[in-house]
Amino acid sequence: MDEVVFLSGLLAAGIRLAAPIALAAIGETLSQRVGVINVGIEGIMLVGAFIAVLLAVQSGSPWIGLLGAILAGIAMASLHAYFVVTLKTEQIVTGIALLFLGLGLSGYGYRLTLGELGAAVKVPGFRELDILGLADLPVIGPILFGQHALVYLAVASAIAMAWMFRATRLGVIIKAVGETPAAADSAGIHVDRVRFLCVLAAGGFAGAGGAFLSTAHLWGFVENMTAGRGFLAIACVVFARWNPVLAVLVALVFGIADAAQIRLQSIFPAVPYQFFVIAPYVVAIVSLAVGSRSSRMPAALGLPFAKPR
Amino acid sequence: MTGTALRMPALLVIGFLVAMVIAAILLAGADPASVAYGIIERALFTRAGLLEALLRAIPLTIMGLGIAIAFKARIFNIGMDGQLIAGSVLAVVAAPLLPGNIAGIVFFLALGFLGGAVWGGIAGVIKARFGGNEIIATIMLNYVAVQLLSWLVRGPLQEKMKIIPRSDAIDQALRLPVLFDGTRIHAGLIVAILAVAIVALVMLRGRFGYRLAVVGANDHAARYAGISPAWMAAAVLILSGALAGLAGAVEVAGLYGRLQEGFAPGFGIAAIAVALVARLNPLLVPVSAFGFSLLYSGLGALARNGVVPFPLINILEGAIILVFLAATVALRHGGGQTREAPESGARADG
Repeated sequence: MDEVVFLSGLLAAGIRLAAPIALAAIGETLSQRVGVINVGIEGIMLVGAFIAVLLAVQSGSPWIGLLGAILAGIAMASLHAYFVVTLKTEQIVTGIALLFLGLGLSGYGYRLTLGELGAAVKVPGFRELDILGLADLPVIGPILFGQHALVYLAVASAIAMAWMFRATRLGVIIKAVGETPAAADSAGIHVDRVRFLCVLAAGGFAGAGGAFLSTAHLWGFVENMTAGRGFLAIACVVFARWNPVLAVLVALVFGIADAAQIRLQSIFPAVPYQFFVIAPYVVAIVSLAVGSRSSRMPAALGLPFAKPR
Repeated sequence: MTGTALRMPALLVIGFLVAMVIAAILLAGADPASVAYGIIERALFTRAGLLEALLRAIPLTIMGLGIAIAFKARIFNIGMDGQLIAGSVLAVVAAPLLPGNIAGIVFFLALGFLGGAVWGGIAGVIKARFGGNEIIATIMLNYVAVQLLSWLVRGPLQEKMKIIPRSDAIDQALRLPVLFDGTRIHAGLIVAILAVAIVALVMLRGRFGYRLAVVGANDHAARYAGISPAWMAAAVLILSGALAGLAGAVEVAGLYGRLQEGFAPGFGIAAIAVALVARLNPLLVPVSAFGFSLLYSGLGALARNGVVPFPLINILEGAIILVFLAATVALRHGGGQTREAPESGARADG
């Protein structure tokens, strides 16, 4: 029974650690489906994490913080969209600049505001839900009924997005823009407009991922607290073959690896803790080697669209 | 789509970015004009500031060259921080075996080069053999390297006294000699100048440079020309990793004399900004590196005095790259290519 309790706790914690990666990965899936890579989501997540804490402290509500983080994510993404869609600059270089900008803006903003107050600031964060009072059920309770509201929202949006790609006109438009932009243009679709809007939505998801990190997983902001999660999210998108539901499941693998390494640290105190901390990163590196072959990426990924004259 | 049609939108966003930086400085309660003046005064008109900048320009030049090589081939190595650590660790581990003379110093630097090459090579193999994305691979390897360094300086490599998490000092004979009395400017300056000359020769004159440009411009064209993009990707990651490792060994042998955590903070990021602003031209890299170093030196002094928080440097790095991208669009005439990346170097004549 002890093993079952251990595994249930591990899975519940793994879901919590996966959520920020999953949220960012859902957004990045949408962005890449229309043909735009954003390697700067790490920077967007950082800004989201900072804004969420700042607004939660000032308003007393984590929901206001979440809303602010989503809007901040959209604002950051609009810069990316303006550059790569409107000005048609190199997507990866622009994304790298966005990463630096996010790193700077969040660190700078934090030191100007909450950082000056010291660690004493109480952050009103999200609490886990207790759906139908079932969170205390043994084993499955904490996994299925005791998660943060954002976890359920993330799963719901992944499923909704998968359904959108599969069964709606909007999904067809998005796929056309990412696969054959010239044909989409001939069919009267505003390719650049669709791209712009999807990149903005992706920024909102990344901002929400950052908010989860700083107001649900932890209650507080630390400079560079994303620690590579934005890049793990990009890895999820590739491993999941641009399928949002699969991307969430891949994020769960990274989350469980992270939850496991934290537990293993206390089980094996003789082993230096650094060897456990690297676990999620090593998992990502190994899966890059194993999972990258024969991936069919959106045909127009990374390519700016030039309207034929 | 003509280039001129995008001139106004590009100029507009440059204005926005400048306004954003000014707003950020105003939010800190500082005066943007006096911050700019303070940076220039400290960096250009004080001996200490100028020397500090020159000192920082040494590793940034070497690393910027590595980024220039990689980005030219459209291989985005953003894991230089990890490669720098790997290089300096290998050099310091092997340091006790080295002879205490000039040859020892050369070996020390060569080991740094090798260590960085190995760390970059891991990402290279993943890219070439398995098609794994090098951006993700290199950044993940950063985190692994940082943790391994953290363990090493608290474990097997910790100083004999076992107090501070750092290694023992390397033999004094392995330290890079100071070039000018009364300063800390060390022989790493010569290493950096040699690196510029060699990389410039290779990139601008040699067959390798031609291959870089072809692979960077178009994978299919490269295959027609008999160049394997996968092999080039691996070679480029090994080479740029090696230059990062060399920079790490230079920092250890020239400045600190030992391993410690966080001894090259943010250099990997800065090197990317350096190379992009230098338009990936190896001859412009040292100029750009010195420019960014002046910025660091000047802003660092202001941050220490509490005028503005230091992360302003990251905002500036991001904004400078974006301004540079927008300016390239604004200055471009004509156009019509689909993959028209100004810094990807479509110059196949090189």
